[in-house]
Amino acid sequence: MTAKERDEAKKQTEMLAALRKQHSDQVKQAQALLKEQQNVRKTLRGAMKAGPRTVPQLAEATGLPSAEVLWQVTAMKKYGLVIEEGLNEDYEYYLYALSEEVKR
Amino acid sequence: MSDNRLDVDTLVVGGGIAGMQASLDLADQGYQVALVERDPSIGGKMIGLSKVFPTLDCCSCITTPKMAAVAHHDNIPLLTYSEVESVASNKNGFVAQVLRKPRYVQEEDCTGCRSCELVCPIDLPDDENEFGRTSHRVIYVPFTTAVPQTALIDLDHCIYCGKCIKACPPDAIDFTQQPEHLEIEAKTIVLATGYEVTPYDAKKEYGAGKLGNVIDALMMERLLAPTGPYGRVLRPSDGKQPDSIAYVQCAGSRDLTLGVSYCSRVCCMYAIKQAMLLSGALPMADITIYYMDIRTFGKGYEQFYQNAKTMGIEFVKGKVARITEDENQNPVVRVELIDENSRVAERTHDLVVLSVGMLPGWNPQATFGVPVAEAGFIQIPDCNVSPTVTTQPGIYATGTAAGPMDIVDTIMTAGAAAAEAAAYMQNHKEQEPAVPEAAPAMRDKRSTVHA
Ligand SMILES: Cc1cc2nc3c(=O)[nH]c(=O)nc-3n(C[C@H](O)[C@H](O)[C@H](O)COP(=O)(O)OP(=O)(O)OC[C@H]3O[C@@H](n4cnc5c(N)ncnc54)[C@H](O)[C@@H]3O)c2cc1C
Ligand code: SF4
Repeated sequence: MTAKERDEAKKQTEMLAALRKQHSDQVKQAQALLKEQQNVRKTLRGAMKAGPRTVPQLAEATGLPSAEVLWQVTAMKKYGLVIEEGLNEDYEYYLYALSEEVKR
Repeated sequence: MSDNRLDVDTLVVGGGIAGMQASLDLADQGYQVALVERDPSIGGKMIGLSKVFPTLDCCSCITTPKMAAVAHHDNIPLLTYSEVESVASNKNGFVAQVLRKPRYVQEEDCTGCRSCELVCPIDLPDDENEFGRTSHRVIYVPFTTAVPQTALIDLDHCIYCGKCIKACPPDAIDFTQQPEHLEIEAKTIVLATGYEVTPYDAKKEYGAGKLGNVIDALMMERLLAPTGPYGRVLRPSDGKQPDSIAYVQCAGSRDLTLGVSYCSRVCCMYAIKQAMLLSGALPMADITIYYMDIRTFGKGYEQFYQNAKTMGIEFVKGKVARITEDENQNPVVRVELIDENSRVAERTHDLVVLSVGMLPGWNPQATFGVPVAEAGFIQIPDCNVSPTVTTQPGIYATGTAAGPMDIVDTIMTAGAAAAEAAAYMQNHKEQEPAVPEAAPAMRDKRSTVHA
């Protein structure tokens, strides 16, 4: 890193800190949302460790409402954290598994 | 105070299919058109649809080229994420004050690579394009086929962690961006502000939006689209692949309890279309359409309906009085079966789709001085003879801003509005006193942006 780059990085860190301070209430709320999301994702990843699961199975394993599980799994699938692995044996529900990226 | 100015021939407000088509029709004749769209992308409702009746063409495949044509047209300055705040008349026509909302991303620099989106740590419900069924990040490109492919930040949910700044190759993120004001001078205006659908929680008899497996038809369009949230049709309460799907027609049209007396024209046709697409996507599923009467008004539409019947889609003449749900969140439809001596039956399905109606979107009265008619759509005084001419000289209306219509009719009125605007400009040019000038062989209609 050159001296100039270091200087720019410092300025950026200061700018972000100032913005966080300026919008502190809203940032606190967003941080709380992030934390909650991280916890939910951790629980879901745990429940998928043993292998592919359907939404109702994940809901039962985690205690989360099934609509919430579907939303989380859909969001995780969109960003490559979860993959869909075909239908279960009753042809009713799709199975979701952790992607290689997450398993690594 | 305006920072910038733009001189054009026509200001088009709304970048759905109506506004895009009117813009292209004018721009192709050499007129300069400023297209102002409120959302971060053009495309309107049409870009979110799966396939179109009655041809079953892929909607994205026919809308995206139009969006690209608009964005790349030399005669169309495109202003997305912008709103017309006020309009005044002057001797040349109109002067509009336009607000350009900040994206916190430099439009000129962003390439839509989505590197920012991949590193941003927070997922938010994508209410804007996917009815909350999936997520986007705090910084996001609106959708895969959005035009322009430019990211924006929902600052209300940002934690200013700076990950996006580090990830952005062209350094396009700018947290200090402010709203900008632009003054647009135009000789004519085309209003193409479109429609909204009946809020899906409008009817308490149909569960007031609280039943997990009662959705509206626009949501179903997304479930059927290959780019949709699940990539397939699943019911939202638990991700089950539905075996039994029912449509409730006139859920928001011809319903005086909602203050809507008119027929929305497209709901019968889109329900038949969706039913056909569902029987392709879910060959084992039973599909029922509860209807009062089926209205197939356009060319080839009646045949489309007959084809659906031969495909095994069940059409049940009946008025749905109520929808409740059982202990497994299966919707239970209580319906008066008209062809069975008006016997009342309760039928359980996996998923129910409300064929919601078309409501007026935006009221232009305050900004443009253009009044709306009784139902709330733009008033067209002589709709049989001049279906796009409003009460204000030089201001035209196209598409569903003027009343419920399908895409075919929307495109026709877009052409008509463009022709009316061109004729008006031609007539007014002829009336202008002949000022001797070094007349160029072809009038240069390129817009001029004054700093
Ligand atoms: C479920 C469903 C399925 C359908 N399927 C079909 C089909 O298969 N075939 C068919 O022919 N038709 C179909 N239709 C009808 C079709 O969607 C419409 O005919 C068409 O999209 C209307 O286009 P529009 O440009 O008039 O309106 P819109 O698509 O609503 O576009 C209006 C645009 O204006 C913008 N806007 C609004 N207010 C402002 C403002 N104040 N300033 C700036 N911009 C503004 C909006 O953001 C939007 O981009 C369907 C409708 C529904 C509800
Ligand atoms: S600064 Fe905000 S938008 Fe950028 S990555 Fe962090 S949370 Fe996302």
